[in-house]
Amino acid sequence: MKTWSEVAEVQPLAGRIITNSIKKGRVSHAYLIQGERGTGKEAIASLIAKGLFCTDKDGLEPCHTCQMCKRIDSGNHPDVHWIVPDGQSIKIEQIKNLQKEFTYSGLESNKKVYIIKAADTLTLNAANRILKFLEEPSRQTTAIMLTENSSAIIPTIRSRCQVIDLQPLNPKKFQKKLMDEGMPEQHAVLMSALTNSIDEAVAWKSDDWFASALKLVVQLIEKLVNYPEDAYLFIHSSWMPHFKERSEQEQGLDVMLLAWKDILYYHIGNEEQLVFFRANSDLLQRAALSFSQESIIDNLQAILQAKRKLKQNVHPTLVMEQLTLQLKR
Amino acid sequence: MKFIINRQKLISGLQDVMKAISSRTVVPILTGVKLEAAKEGITLTGSDSDITIKYFIPAVEEFVDKKTDEADEEMDNKKINAEIIQEGSIVLHAKYFPDIIRKLPEETVEIEMDPQLKVAIRSGKALFHLNGQDPDEYPLLPELQTEDSFELSTNTLKALIKQTVFAVATMESRPILTGVQIKLLDNKLTFSATDSHRLAMQEIPVDDAQTEITSLVIPGKSLNELNKILTDNDEKIEISVTNNQILFRTENLYFLSRLLDGKYPETSRLIPEESKTALQIKTKELLHTIDRASLLAKDDHNNVVRLTTNDNNSAEISSNSPEVGTVTEEIGIQSMEGEDLKISFSSKYMMDALKAIDFDEVKIEFTGAMRPFIIRPVNGAEILQLILPIRTY
Repeated sequence: MKTWSEVAEVQPLAGRIITNSIKKGRVSHAYLIQGERGTGKEAIASLIAKGLFCTDKDGLEPCHTCQMCKRIDSGNHPDVHWIVPDGQSIKIEQIKNLQKEFTYSGLESNKKVYIIKAADTLTLNAANRILKFLEEPSRQTTAIMLTENSSAIIPTIRSRCQVIDLQPLNPKKFQKKLMDEGMPEQHAVLMSALTNSIDEAVAWKSDDWFASALKLVVQLIEKLVNYPEDAYLFIHSSWMPHFKERSEQEQGLDVMLLAWKDILYYHIGNEEQLVFFRANSDLLQRAALSFSQESIIDNLQAILQAKRKLKQNVHPTLVMEQLTLQLKR
Repeated sequence: MKFIINRQKLISGLQDVMKAISSRTVVPILTGVKLEAAKEGITLTGSDSDITIKYFIPAVEEFVDKKTDEADEEMDNKKINAEIIQEGSIVLHAKYFPDIIRKLPEETVEIEMDPQLKVAIRSGKALFHLNGQDPDEYPLLPELQTEDSFELSTNTLKALIKQTVFAVATMESRPILTGVQIKLLDNKLTFSATDSHRLAMQEIPVDDAQTEITSLVIPGKSLNELNKILTDNDEKIEISVTNNQILFRTENLYFLSRLLDGKYPETSRLIPEESKTALQIKTKELLHTIDRASLLAKDDHNNVVRLTTNDNNSAEISSNSPEVGTVTEEIGIQSMEGEDLKISFSSKYMMDALKAIDFDEVKIEFTGAMRPFIIRPVNGAEILQLILPIRTY
C-alpha cells in the first residue's frame, strides 16, 4: 500500500477518516492505529508522515520521489522518529530519548512526527511517561501509535488519541492472491489463517522448518489420540528441540489451535471450514471420536492460556508440559 | 566528485566536525560525515541532530602577512589547500573515514567518487575504497540569514557561556531549564540560566545589533560543546537565529544548535530590588573559606554552610554535621551595611557562583534569612548570581 487510493481499497473506512482530516487540515495530534498483522498500519503511518512533509504533493498523495519522502522511507528524516521495540519491549531509555526530543525544536522545520511501533509493548512506566506529551502536545507535533493488541494499551493513553480501527483482511481474497502466486489451495487456506502477509506466506511455504513444524503438530495430536502417555515424552524429545525461539513457540501454538478448531468443526459437521486437516483425514476422524465437544473446547482454552503464558515470559518448557497434561483426555 | 587536498587541513577539519557526531544516533545517516566539494573549497558537516558542526576548507587561502604584502609577487601570499577537479558531495562513515585520513602516508590525499557512491581515497601508494551514502539523505540545514545577526568576540562569548551555563538544571523534570535563555533587547545581550534554586545572569552591551531577540533557549549541552570547540582568541563570531536553530559562525567553522521549545520562566521578578544587609568580601578568601567549611558538609545532600555576621567587620562561616564534627572560621569583610544576619546556603552553589565571578571583590546583598540573595562584583560589571538560602532550624 503506497498511496491513499490503495489504502482506500483495503481499509475503506480508516482511509476515509484520515484523508478527510488531512483535506480539512485537521490532522489529530495523536493517532492510535490498531489492526492485525499485515493490515497496513505502518503504510498508513508513513503516508501520514509523508503527507505532512512532502514538498511535491499531488492533491493528497505524497510523491514518494522527493527528498523528504525518500528520507522518510529510509528512516533518515531527522524530524520523523520511529520508536521500535528493542527486543521484547520498548525500553525506558528509548522513551527518555523521545522525551528529550519533545523539548527540542525540529531540525529542519517545526513539524515533528513520532511513530511508535508495537505500542502495546510499552511498559506501564514508559507509557505513563509519554502521557504528558499526549496531554500537552506542542504545536505541529503528531504522534502515531501502532498496535496489534489494542486491549494492552492503557486507557489513559487510548483516551488521548484518535483511535483508528483497521478491519481484518478478507481471508478469501488473500487465499485467492496466494493461489495466484501458485500455491496449492490446501496451503493457501492454512496460510491465510496464520498470516496476512503474502511475502511471509510464500517464505513459510518453502521453509523446511515450517514444514516439519506442521508435521510435529500432526504427530502430537496422533500421540494424544493413540498413546496419551507418550505425549509428555514427545514434547521433550521432539517438540522443544524444534521450537526454540519464542516466536517459533507461539507459531507452533497457533498451528495447534487451528488443528483443534478443525476437530471441533468436524464434530459439528462444519467441514467446509477445515483449515489444517483434509476432510477425509483418518487422524481427524479418530480424534473426533476420542474427544468430546466439551473436552475440545477445554483444550482450545488451554492452548489460548498457554499462549498468554508465553507472552508473560513463563518458561516455555513448563508451559508446554502443562499444556500436554491438560490436553490429555 | 573528485579533489586533492592537503591532509593536515583535512585532519584538523575532521577533528572539529567529529565532535558533533555521536555513535548512538537513531537516524542512520547521522553516523556519517558529509563532504561537499565546490569551487571555493571543501565543506565538512557532522551532526547528532542536536548540534551540527560545519567546517569549511577554502581551496585557496590568503595569508595576511605584512611582509609579503609589500612584495608584489601575488603567488607568495597564497596557499593552496585543495584542488577541486569535479564538484559533488557524499556521506562517508565517521567511524572509518577520519582514521583512514589520519594514517595515510603522504601529505596530500586524493578523493574520488564514482556514480555508485563508492569513494576511492588515494595517498602515495595506499588506496582505500569506501562505501558512501547518498548525500540527499542528509538533513537539510537551514539557509543562513546573515541580515539578522550580531557579532561578539570569541572571548566574550566564551566568558558569557562559562559564567552562566553551570547553573542550568540537570534534572529533566523541567526540560526548559536545561537551557540558557538569551535575550537581545536595546543593544543589550543577556544570558541567564537557572535550575530554580539559583540563577546566573550576565548582561553585555552589543554594538550595532541588527536584530532583536525576545527570548530563546539554547540547550546547556550545546553551549558546553561550543565552548570546547572555540579557541581562545579575539576573532569575531557571528551569531544568527533562524526559527528553530541558532548559528554561531567563525571564519571557517559553523556551529548550529537546535533550540529548546517552550516558555522560559520570567526570571527578572526573582531578583530582589532592595537589600537589608550588604557585605563586601574578597572573592578568593570567601571561596577558600567556604571550600574548607564544606569539607565536613560534603556527605550531606545539601552541603549546607552557615554565614553569621559579627560586629567587628567580620563574619563567621560554619558548618555542622552531627556525626562528623563542626567547623567555624572567621573571615574579614571589607565593609558591611544594614542589619545583622544569620543565613544558611548550599556551599556548592556558592562556590560555583564565586568561581564564575572573575573579580577580586564581590558584594553580597541579603534581604533576610529566608529570601534569595545576590552576588555581584563590586565594580559593577553586569554579572549577577542569585542563590536561594536553605531553611535550617
